[in-house]
Amino acid sequence: MPPTISVQQLSKTYQVPEREGGFGAAVRGFFKRKYKDVKAVQQVDFKIERGEVVGFLGPNGAGKTTTLKMLSGLLHPTGGGANVLGFTPWELNPEYLRSMTLVMGQRNRLSWDIPAADSFLLNQAIYRIPDDEYKKTYKELDELLELEPLMKKPVRNLSLGERMKCEIAVGLLHRPKVLFLDEPTIGLDISGQARIREFLREYNKRTGATILLTSHYMADVTALCERIIIIHHGQLKYDGGINELSHKIAPFKLIGVILAESNSHDLSKYGTLVQNEEDWEKQYIQVKAEDVTRITSKLLADLPIHDITIADPPIEDVIEQAFNS
Amino acid sequence: MFLIIKRLWQVNWAEQWQYRANLIMYLLYWLVSPIIYLAVWTSIAKVKGDVNGFTVNDFTTYYMVLLICDQITSNIIIHTFAYKIQDGSLSGELIRPIHPMLTNALVNNVAFKMLTIMGLVPVWFILFFLFKPDFSSVTLAGVLLSIPAMVLAFFTGFLLSAAITSLAFWTTRVYSIHEFYFALILLFSGQFVPLTLMPQVIQNITQYLPFQLLIYYPVQLILGKLSAEQITQGYVMSFVWFGISLLFFNWVWRNGVKRYSAVGA
Repeated sequence: MPPTISVQQLSKTYQVPEREGGFGAAVRGFFKRKYKDVKAVQQVDFKIERGEVVGFLGPNGAGKTTTLKMLSGLLHPTGGGANVLGFTPWELNPEYLRSMTLVMGQRNRLSWDIPAADSFLLNQAIYRIPDDEYKKTYKELDELLELEPLMKKPVRNLSLGERMKCEIAVGLLHRPKVLFLDEPTIGLDISGQARIREFLREYNKRTGATILLTSHYMADVTALCERIIIIHHGQLKYDGGINELSHKIAPFKLIGVILAESNSHDLSKYGTLVQNEEDWEKQYIQVKAEDVTRITSKLLADLPIHDITIADPPIEDVIEQAFNS
Repeated sequence: MFLIIKRLWQVNWAEQWQYRANLIMYLLYWLVSPIIYLAVWTSIAKVKGDVNGFTVNDFTTYYMVLLICDQITSNIIIHTFAYKIQDGSLSGELIRPIHPMLTNALVNNVAFKMLTIMGLVPVWFILFFLFKPDFSSVTLAGVLLSIPAMVLAFFTGFLLSAAITSLAFWTTRVYSIHEFYFALILLFSGQFVPLTLMPQVIQNITQYLPFQLLIYYPVQLILGKLSAEQITQGYVMSFVWFGISLLFFNWVWRNGVKRYSAVGA
């Protein structure tokens, strides 16, 4: 059987208009536009078999979303080809569109001004879902995502997490064979994330659907995917098992510290200091995972600690460190 | 397909009701210019007795019928669709297995029309009592003939506007192009001035343009001002332009979608 998704030399170059600041440049730009080529995806190859759940990772701007957009048919590539379920995605064949889904952001399939229930019924008609099948699928989705209390409110009045739940549910009503998920758990609280993960795993097991997902949360990926594809600067950097990957990436942790008195103590002797602009109160030290216990107890013994946290570094930083060198 | 249209209608109808204030402002905007033309032309005719044979009653009946035809044949696709191409919110619709423009946007426009026509009714009767026009030239046959003509004109106008709206795939300033197109409609549809008052050369040209099908042709049909030959010619032009605009829209759309960059979302 041919692979469900096969991508050959897929490339996308955006032409971005470019102009310097100032009045003269503005006038010149009126007559002659300058464009810069941005190579978002460069000659990427991979194959995904039916039923696989693959994590698609890379720092911001690496080309993940562009690739997903091409595979779902939204974007025409500038080079190479792709085949999903026997279709060329960007031909937008209705039969193809009925057998896949793309969940992306929180404003996709739901109409902003009306209750989600109406959008659900509209999608039932558009995807030609028979009534009994619709009811069955909706019941399953409701059990897992607790949709019912959200259905009657206008979508604009839902919270970020509530909208995301509805977006995912409405995108799965037609029981797609292929799922492209761009940040499916973004904006959800921890239990919401876990529930979506659980749901996706269950869906994959029950239907044999093929799933390609991007995420900022390492937990999403480790919970769901056995295989990881990493792209960076538009190029494929890694394609293989998640366990092999962790050998490649030296695991480290971030220790966040707030000192009780002042910040005059030098923390650099405990590990590498890391900048974090969002949380200026805290100082972050990056240490190897195996040293966490030793260094934490040393910190607690040596310094007047007010607050201390230990966390996994952001996924982007991990990849940046592993593949940028 | 029937169920899809029905559900699209429910969603769009509900959505349009959400924007009552917007709707009223839009209707006022849409009514202001024909009513001004009506007032200006009737006062000129009053002073001079007539304008090239057009009497006060001719102008009154012309513009009062025009108000109805304009509501039926016009569309607002540029305002409801172009921004979706620009800000990427089209993405969700583009990967649904139905045509975004020819299903959802079309139904949305019809829902909008239904509401503005409801709003037009009281305004129209106020004008009727103010101007007391004599509609004795109107025949049932003319009214019946005008209905398919207006339906065709609506679709032709919709497809042409949809094609211009789709230029948003190429340029972010599609609104100025549409403004130009709108000026052509104003001038050559018979809205600014009844076409019979235009110089003969322009009248000859307008016969072959699509714009007069939107307003002048159905208005004259209702008022019973056309000969059998003119009626036939109008219908032939209606079908020809419907075909042309369908091909034109399809071509622009197909090529536009290839350029879609799905920014934002």
